[in-house]
Amino acid sequence: MSKLTCEQMEQLLPDYFQSALSSAQSAEIEQHCEHCATCAQDVVMWKQLAMLPEEAPSAESRQRFDAMLHAYSATAAETALAQSKAQQSRPIATGAKPSWNFIEWLRSPFGAVAWSAALLLIGLFAGTQVSNRTKPAQSDELASLHAEVTSMRQLVALSMLQQQSASERLQGVSWSTREGHLDPQVQTALLRTLRDDGSVDVRLAALDALSRHAGQPQVRKGVLEALQQQQSPLVQVALIDQLTEWRDPDVAQRLRTLEQTPNLNPAVKQRAEWALAKLQESTQ
Amino acid sequence: MTSVPDEDVMLQVHDGEVHMLGVLFDRYQAPLFNFYSKMTQDRTVSEDLVQEVFLRILRYRQTYRPGTTFRTWMYQIARNTRLDQVRKVRPESPLATEPIASTNTGDAAVRQQETQLLQRALMQLPEDKREILVLSRFQELKYEEIARLLGCETGAVKVRVHRALQQLRETYTALESNPSAQSQPQAPSQSSRRATTDSVPPTRRVQ
Repeated sequence: MSKLTCEQMEQLLPDYFQSALSSAQSAEIEQHCEHCATCAQDVVMWKQLAMLPEEAPSAESRQRFDAMLHAYSATAAETALAQSKAQQSRPIATGAKPSWNFIEWLRSPFGAVAWSAALLLIGLFAGTQVSNRTKPAQSDELASLHAEVTSMRQLVALSMLQQQSASERLQGVSWSTREGHLDPQVQTALLRTLRDDGSVDVRLAALDALSRHAGQPQVRKGVLEALQQQQSPLVQVALIDQLTEWRDPDVAQRLRTLEQTPNLNPAVKQRAEWALAKLQESTQ
Repeated sequence: MTSVPDEDVMLQVHDGEVHMLGVLFDRYQAPLFNFYSKMTQDRTVSEDLVQEVFLRILRYRQTYRPGTTFRTWMYQIARNTRLDQVRKVRPESPLATEPIASTNTGDAAVRQQETQLLQRALMQLPEDKREILVLSRFQELKYEEIARLLGCETGAVKVRVHRALQQLRETYTALESNPSAQSQPQAPSQSSRRATTDSVPPTRRVQ
């Protein structure tokens, strides 16, 4: 039987640890370890790790999960109901003609994007024509192109946030995060989404997107206000968590007001109490 | 009786049968809890993180793609959840280093001391080394699965496991000879950056 070197051991040990070697190879490793303290110590260390105890989660863990799932399903059901009602009442409320209309389409978000894209293309084409003649500094061109792309992205985000389907609105939120800078219009749209969107998932995603801009007072203010108007327990809990993380000076007072709300979901009440305790802890 | 594969259950969740997530919760809450408790040494934090993982699975269920191994996908979410948590609470509060007074005598006391020392040594490793050891030693993940999770070659995973183990051994030996040494909280190192595989749902954004 050939003797293994420490270098060869380095290659083989990880597989030996996961019992992925043949019995002949394992025997060679064990033989090497009889004469090499360093490699033997590695094996011992791996085996010793088994001493760390396997721990069991508490019984409440499953209860918490059930409560979360329940809150999620309940909110989803409410949303579906609200949407179907809204759909029934829409023609009366808006008086809009259901038939397809070119002018209407041009005014719609998709129309707006199509328009803007067409204008951008015309602009770019004209720009290239002009630049071919005058050759302006390239950096200016790049800068203006970048600005145009940025505003296009904002436009796409804004228009998608107004779509009927929740997955398109989710994409809209995603578009809004492609720019590090938060445009005031997009900010307003995201705050509106957080407040009024029919889908819980979209509202939560909007909160995620907004949470990246904690430095902006308008964002903090808007998120704080959303807490008061929010009906879904899941979003309420997410808002409480976010505001607690920001340690907003006004949050404690708002939480106390929230706690007074009649028929407040017990999970939300509990989270508010937890947040208040945490805020108090941090001020001490 | 053979149980329904994780992937089939997850596809049902994906298609709106959200109550089926309970099946996956029952299968994975204990392994995930152990993953986190070995990473953080904190039961409360670990339980919170497990809940957060399942909430994220629910929220990002639409991004689960058929053909993806559920376990790998779940651990990707679990890692990102942990990285977000590290970012929030940094600097990490150092763990209590005083040995817990023990009424045990003899072998049991020695074993208990060794376990505590081992836990401290593990916590002193950089985040990424601790993680790769926990994944390969306790989560029963094969090197191939870890490689997919970390987005690297299987060979690289093996090398990293061995290096992490060697560092653990050195730390453990140092602690053994000087048990009162103060442990230094470790910030996550560069190599433990967020996983970026396509199928991973992002943690703070929606694709």
